[in-house]
Amino acid sequence: MKTTVAGSYPKIGDLTEEQKLRHALHQFDRHEISEENLQAVQEEVTREVIQEQIDSGIDLVTDGLIRWDDPLTYQAGKILGFKTTGLTRYFDTNTFYREPIVATRLESRKPLLASDYQFAASVSQKPVKAVMTGPYTLAKLSKNEFYRNLAQLAYDLAYIFHQEAIFLEEAGCSVIQFDEPAILHHPQDWQLFLRVYEVVTTGLSKAEKVLFLNFGNLGELYPKICNIQVDTIGCELTKDHPNWKILKSASFTKRLMAGLIDARNTKMETEEEILEIVHHLSEIVPLEKVSLAPSHGLEFLPRSVARKKLTLLAKVAKSYQETKVS
Amino acid sequence: MFLPTTSVGSLPKPDYLVEARSKFSKKQTTREELAELEKRATKEWIEFQEEIGIDILVDGEMYRGDMVTYFAENLDGFAISGLVRSYGNRYYKKPIAVHDIKRLRPITVEWYQYAQSLTKKPVKGMLTGPYTIMDWSFNEHYESRRDFCLKVAEIVHEEAVDLEKAGAAYIQIDEPAISARPEELDLAIEAIGIATQGIKAKTLTHICYGNFSKIYPRMLSIPVDQIDLELSNSHFEMFKLFSKYPFTKEIGLGVVDVHRHTIETKEEVVTRIEKALGVFPTALKIYVDPDCGLKTRTVDEAKAKLRVCVEAAKEVREILSDRYGPAKSQSSEPTLS
Repeated sequence: MKTTVAGSYPKIGDLTEEQKLRHALHQFDRHEISEENLQAVQEEVTREVIQEQIDSGIDLVTDGLIRWDDPLTYQAGKILGFKTTGLTRYFDTNTFYREPIVATRLESRKPLLASDYQFAASVSQKPVKAVMTGPYTLAKLSKNEFYRNLAQLAYDLAYIFHQEAIFLEEAGCSVIQFDEPAILHHPQDWQLFLRVYEVVTTGLSKAEKVLFLNFGNLGELYPKICNIQVDTIGCELTKDHPNWKILKSASFTKRLMAGLIDARNTKMETEEEILEIVHHLSEIVPLEKVSLAPSHGLEFLPRSVARKKLTLLAKVAKSYQETKVS
Repeated sequence: MFLPTTSVGSLPKPDYLVEARSKFSKKQTTREELAELEKRATKEWIEFQEEIGIDILVDGEMYRGDMVTYFAENLDGFAISGLVRSYGNRYYKKPIAVHDIKRLRPITVEWYQYAQSLTKKPVKGMLTGPYTIMDWSFNEHYESRRDFCLKVAEIVHEEAVDLEKAGAAYIQIDEPAISARPEELDLAIEAIGIATQGIKAKTLTHICYGNFSKIYPRMLSIPVDQIDLELSNSHFEMFKLFSKYPFTKEIGLGVVDVHRHTIETKEEVVTRIEKALGVFPTALKIYVDPDCGLKTRTVDEAKAKLRVCVEAAKEVREILSDRYGPAKSQSSEPTLS
């Protein structure tokens, strides 16, 4: 039973030395430092947040999405054909994204995230997972001013993401995660979604593919979501989350990334609570097919609390293994 | 008054105040010294608003860090957590409800009184709404979001009553979080109803950056006299909804984008106001203001954006009076369409 994170890590902390990125972005905004200077700070912070995850005991880390301004514009900015417009709220959070506008046919001539992966992998002693907002959610949350319909837009993005997955596999990435929160809110697009993932993952066998579905519950997508061409499905499984009942309604046939720790509230879970939740998990899927994670990216928490929650997660995984051994 | 101008609430802090706040957080200056500078900055902003001819003023919130944290810091029952990102490069110290929330004393009344003492024009009383305070805080205490929200609603009501007693003719209760969960709109409406119950002053709420299509026209039942909306950021997309279901309250019309450095030209803003006049029923009262609080802009940018709002409103009044005779009251005015 391994531990991982869902994606983002708090970009700054409360200590002065933890705020260099905020400072650098201000300076960059005022044209006081160059893009190279800013990148150097982003790399430094990426290095730090990877180390924090490792120090907390996490097995599979991410680069913390330190370079990402929001879940959409970082990727959209690297795909030709997108421009961005005003701020919109991201699901039910109090964070925002700039809505990408599809202005012309989308194409991507170079890797989107592979170099970020390579940098992270080069500074991490633990395996690094590449995380991206998947093609369906990117299509759904963008404003389509070019394609005839959503399906055409989503297919073009699916090919771009397929190519990206190839780049990542070639770069040595062993786990690729696609975040697709939007499908939970639009289950009527299921057939399209299924096809999109056939395109994205087809012929790719090297890396483990994870589909992460948060900001809602699986609802009517379960159990058919298990037909999707990925190895692992991740979802929110905090205490009393509706997903518990939904997952128990039919057999779960994939590997499970269980978002047990509430990444949207500072209230600390106790070790006993989490152990009990893990026990319930074993009723859904054999624990060797489970990885433990927070329910969302950690950016909704102050960094000090994020650290505490990860440490708890790792501790639970460890003590569970120990009980099993003894 | 036809097309009165106002602003949404926050204004940028001048450099000397930013510096003083930073020193205060490092305990290098006293609370009293900081308060003096907060007063100085408030006075400067009131003077500026008077100078450019804004009709309904704000105190600019020189004494607030964040719109939710400020209230939490002044209430019993909240702890303040570490920094959490809201968007872009902006962070706030997100409050945590740790036990029963109580208001120990009025929070904003003295600032309202101070600002109002500096001008004969009305200054708005500015509160953050119960739903937003609940949604933008962590909850380690209340059983449900509803319990938490309704408790905060009682407190906002107490504060609104005190502002009214102090003479506030306009009480604004900001609810930017209201569109985040359309399924909780009824809760938000119930909470604002508690907050505004029995208030005779003009009440208004400011809403921004959300998926309005999911809460419109239901949001017209929010129990306030006026709804102030961010419209420029979203390129006036809401107008499509308004043509389908007419807007039935007074509207605060956001005519400049507060998240871009560029200053809109007078012509651009005039076009936006004229467009609005074609969309809303003739009798509906329209207030002209920026999309949202201007605190994220530099002082110069904020001033320029306010100025363009005032100049454009003035221009539209002139265009209309040239065309149709003196603009006495909006209800007797034909609209441009």
